[in-house]
This record gives sequence, structure tokens and C-alpha cells, in this order.
Amino acid sequence: MNLFEFCHGIIHWLVDLVNNLWYWLGDFLPWYFGDLFTAIGDFAASEGHLLFMTVLVESVVIIVVALINVLNFLWIFRKLSGRILDFYGPYYVGYRIGGWLQNLADGVKLFTKEIITPTKADRLGFLLAPVIFVGSSVTILAVIPLSANFGLSTTSEPGEYVSAGALFALAAFSIAPFAILLAGWSSNNKYTLIGGMRSAAQMMSYEIPLLLAAASVFLLAGSFNFVDIVDAQHDMWFFIPLFIGFVVFLICLIAEVEIIPFDLPEAEAELVEGWTTEYGGMRFGLFYMTTAVRSYAGGALATAFFLGGWQGPWFVPDEIWFLIKAYIVYTVFMWLTWSVPRVRIDQMLVFGWRRLLPLAVLNLLIAAALKSGGWL
Amino acid sequence: MDARQRPKPTGIVLKPMRRTGKQLARTLILGKPNTVLYPEEKLDLPQIYRGKHVLDFKKCIGCGNCVLVCPNDCMWLEKVEDPELGKIERPGVDLGRCLFCGFCAEVCPTVALHMTTEFELADRDRDNLRLGPLDIRDDSFGETFIEERQKRLVPVLDLSKCTDCEMCAGECPEMCIAMMPIENTDRKKPEMNLAKCLSHGKCAEACPEKALTMTEVYESYFDMSEPDLVLEKCSGCGACARKCPSEAIYMLEMPGTEKTLKGGKKGKPKKRAVFVLEKCVGCGRCHKACRFDAIDMPGVRK
Repeated sequence: MNLFEFCHGIIHWLVDLVNNLWYWLGDFLPWYFGDLFTAIGDFAASEGHLLFMTVLVESVVIIVVALINVLNFLWIFRKLSGRILDFYGPYYVGYRIGGWLQNLADGVKLFTKEIITPTKADRLGFLLAPVIFVGSSVTILAVIPLSANFGLSTTSEPGEYVSAGALFALAAFSIAPFAILLAGWSSNNKYTLIGGMRSAAQMMSYEIPLLLAAASVFLLAGSFNFVDIVDAQHDMWFFIPLFIGFVVFLICLIAEVEIIPFDLPEAEAELVEGWTTEYGGMRFGLFYMTTAVRSYAGGALATAFFLGGWQGPWFVPDEIWFLIKAYIVYTVFMWLTWSVPRVRIDQMLVFGWRRLLPLAVLNLLIAAALKSGGWL
Repeated sequence: MDARQRPKPTGIVLKPMRRTGKQLARTLILGKPNTVLYPEEKLDLPQIYRGKHVLDFKKCIGCGNCVLVCPNDCMWLEKVEDPELGKIERPGVDLGRCLFCGFCAEVCPTVALHMTTEFELADRDRDNLRLGPLDIRDDSFGETFIEERQKRLVPVLDLSKCTDCEMCAGECPEMCIAMMPIENTDRKKPEMNLAKCLSHGKCAEACPEKALTMTEVYESYFDMSEPDLVLEKCSGCGACARKCPSEAIYMLEMPGTEKTLKGGKKGKPKKRAVFVLEKCVGCGRCHKACRFDAIDMPGVRK
């Protein structure tokens, strides 16, 4: 049973239940009411309505699963940072599960805080920036399936997901610089503006190697669909033939997600909190959460493109394999984060344009050679 | 050639990651982090930590040096009735004003006052911070740790037993004892030059009356002033000798000052105070007790 069938079954059962009540109620009323009730009940039982409701429930399930994973990611982030820097990390809230509830407590606290808009801020932009940032980041999750059975689809056929889903995920991934630039500009503060400008420069320069590395994967798999990409890795995971591309992809992901070696947009020592300086309360909380959502999406992309997706020995379910790989990618990111210092902006741009871009092109050539030689 | 060596990519990324990986294994798997979870665990404080005061009633002589030296004026002497020790004076401390400098514990001539490692002293009421002598009493605290103050073995004179036999001066291998005549009396007193004394103990062995005993004396970093008698003003009342906490003042008779009474009989001779400065702790209580301004003590207010 896949996610579509599960959700479709739930919706079918619910509609049947409500319709029975509804028709039973119609029996007691005059004939014109009864006809109206029948018409509404027939609409509710129609195929289009059922499909719409099923997709809605599917998205809710996917979002909830993703947000639980995001809570785990935040917990890993805080716990690992603590242990690497020789302190405990979250400890007291949720003592028996290693302080896991600390993020929930922080979320509740952020909800109670006042939301402040600076007087001279551009109000519309200030309001829109978090909406675009959060919305575009959560949209990525819609097209990333955890397995052939667990993803947003409109048919009960397994593996029938959004065609060109990988392309859509990368496209949604790169809307964020616009929101960041908007946030930096509309806050009317020099620190946020510098942070936004840096972010735009960084994301634009690292987008190209990222996409070239992904392009080599698309070339080898011959498809933009996640299921086809993962199926193409059945014999050999792509990180072995495309090792250069894998490394380039990971480095570009770190830059895209803005974690420490490349967290120039929110460099605490130079810019107060970067482009999120003027945001308070739950707006800041949303930014914080969305950074983890993007980390989750980045780990999932790296897993699907290079680490064989949900493929693994049979004794663990496919979805869990996918999550395990994504968690490992994220843990390595965190390990790197607390090991290396922040780079300078010129070093970062030089690294992006002069090192990563040629390497990505080289990687694309290797992929083309492998494909045309027929080895993969 | 560029003298600076360009770091390799592995040196920039992989070496720090190996270092932090070791740290992670140490704090997550093998052991636990460095943090002390305060309310549950407490830091293992060093013995020289300066926290709450503790007073050994039996060692304390009630000299009040701690009260004198306290820079914040937060200590005072209080009269206490003790079943074992009788009527005594012991210091109390106001922790609300204390700055925990440790001078009181350092100046104490008998090392009766200690500072413990107890640091949770907060209270909702300011009056509860005023600890009287009974609140800080702990007679067994001094045995719990090794004393760090410098001790020195010196001969201490009991002038009431001394018979001016000069045996000690003859025995001293360092020639640091001189028999000095006491002014206006027919007695002599061995004056020790403690700077030269090497704690041989021969003087105490030679003394036939056991007037000299080798006693361990704590050395102090504080330069306490010494009393100086103005003989013309001394009336011989003996108030200073009664007040002295370390029994360093002896009242000696001055022959030739007897008044002739009506019946031709001679009265008692006048007395004068004699200080044995090896015992003196410099507390200035004799200076305060003297009603005739006969005792000079520079630096001590009356």
C-alpha cells in the first residue's frame, strides 16, 4: 500500500460515513431539501473531489513527517554543537529523550514574543520576505519522495510522482535568495542589507556548480524524475563514478543552506545577525526552522542524486533508508560546521568561480564520457 | 619564493574535523562534557577557596585582630557564655558586608578562624546574614585539612617562673638571648632576638624552672604594632594584664617605691607592666584598657 491508496482509503471512508448521515438526515426533511442534500452528497462522492481531498491529506502527511524530521535535525544541530564544544547541549527539557523537546519549548516561547516591524521598514516587503522564504522552502518537500511508495502523487500507481521533480526541487531551492535580498532591503538596516547582498552573491555563484553537478546526474540517469534517478543507481551509487561531482554538490549545498564555513550572510562577528537582524518573535523562529527545512531538503537531494536514494538491504524499510542517508549527510555537515572557521567573502567567491565551476564542468564531461561510452 | 606555506585543502578541512571528531567521541560516547550541572553537581573547590567563615572556639583567644584588620568593618566581638570555656569574647561576621578577602583568617594569630568552601550564602532576609559567633562555631574544622600557614618553633617565656639564672643565655648556640635588666626593678629578663633564633631548643632544655617552652608560633604577613610603656604614667593598676588575651603582660614590683605608712610599716611597692613581646599578638587591647595613656601603640585607635 502506498501513500495515495492509504489517504484515498481514509477519505473514501470519511465521505461514506458523512454521506450516510447526510442522506439519513435528508429523509426527515421536505423533498426540496432532500434533493439539495443528495446533490451535495453526490458531489462529495465524485472522483474529482475525492482526488482533491486525497492530495490535501497527502500533503499534510508529508509536511508533518518533514517537520518531525526538521525537529530531529535541529536537535542534532544543537546536540552536536554542544558535544563538540564540550558542553551538554539541550538537556533538561525532555530529559529522558536527550533534550529533544527543547526546540518545541523554544517554539512556544517564540510564539509568545511580540512581533516588531521597524518604523522605517518597507512593510509589504518585510512581511512578504518570510512568506516567500518559508513557502519556497516547504515547496521543495512536496516533490521529494521518501520511497517509491511514499510521495505526493495523484494515482495509485507506485512511483508516479511529479515528472521532472528533481528539476522542480532545484528551482524551488533557488527562490530563497530573492526572499533574502527582499528581507535585507526592506528591513532598512545596513547590516541586513549587507547580509542580503552577500547572500545573493553567494547563492548566485554557488547555484551554477550545484546545477552542473546535478546535471551530470540527470545525464547518467536520463531523467528528471526522482524514481528514475534512484532506479538508475541500482547497480552503482552515483557518488562512485561522479565523486568530484558529489564533493562539489555537497560544498555547494553548504553554501546554499548557509551553514558555517559559508554563513557569510549572517556572520555574527561582522553583521549582527545578518539579514534576519530585524526579525523577531516567531518570524525569526520561522527563519530558523526554514534553515533546517532547507538542510533537510539538501540532505534529501544529495541522498537521491548520489547516495542511491532509498536503496539498501531489505531488512530496513525504504523510507528509513532514505532518512538514514539524509541524516548522515546532515551530521557530516554539522561536523564540518563546528570544525572550520568562516571564510572571507572574496575567498568564497574565488573558490566558487575558479575552483568549483571548472570541477563541475570536468565532472559533467566525465558523466558524458561514461554515458557515451556506455559504461553506465 | 613566498616564505609563507600554502596550507593544503586537507589541512584546512580534514585535520580540524579529525580533532573535533575526537572531541565528539570523548564527550558523547566515552565520557561526558566538561560542564558541571550546578544544582545537581557542584564544582570541586580548592581548599583555599574563601567562602563562609568557621571559628574554632577552643583555639580562639578573643584578641580581636580579625575585627581590627577587616577592611569592611563587618566583624565584631561578642560576649558569649560557654559552659566549657566560661565568659569569653568571640568574633561574629556580617556576610552581607563581607568582601571575602580572607584577611581575618590570615591575621588570626592562633589560626582559629578559617574560610570554608561553602558558597551558597544567599538569604531573603538581611538580618540572617549577620552570623554571630555561635553560628560560625565549628571546633573540629581545623583537623579536616592540612594547615598551610608557616609555623615556627620559638622559645616563649613565662616571666612569673623566671629566676634570672642566665642559663638560657649561656646555652644558646646562636647567642641570641641577652639578659636585659628591667627598668626600675631588680629583675632581669631574657630578650630573644628572634631573627637569629634557629629553634635549637637548648634554652628550654637548660631552663631549671621550665619557664621557657618551645612553642609553635604562626608567622603573619601582617605587621602588627607593639605596645610601648611610658613608665612615668603607669600607675600599676594591672588593667592591661587582665585584658591581654595572650597573657603577655606581667605586673612586676618596683622596689624602693613603697610608701611609709603611719605605723612605720612599709606598704606594698608600686607595680609596673612588663611586656613579653614574643607572646604579643598586637591586638591593642592593653592600649585601649589603659586609662592613664601609659601604653603607646602606633596605628591603633583608642
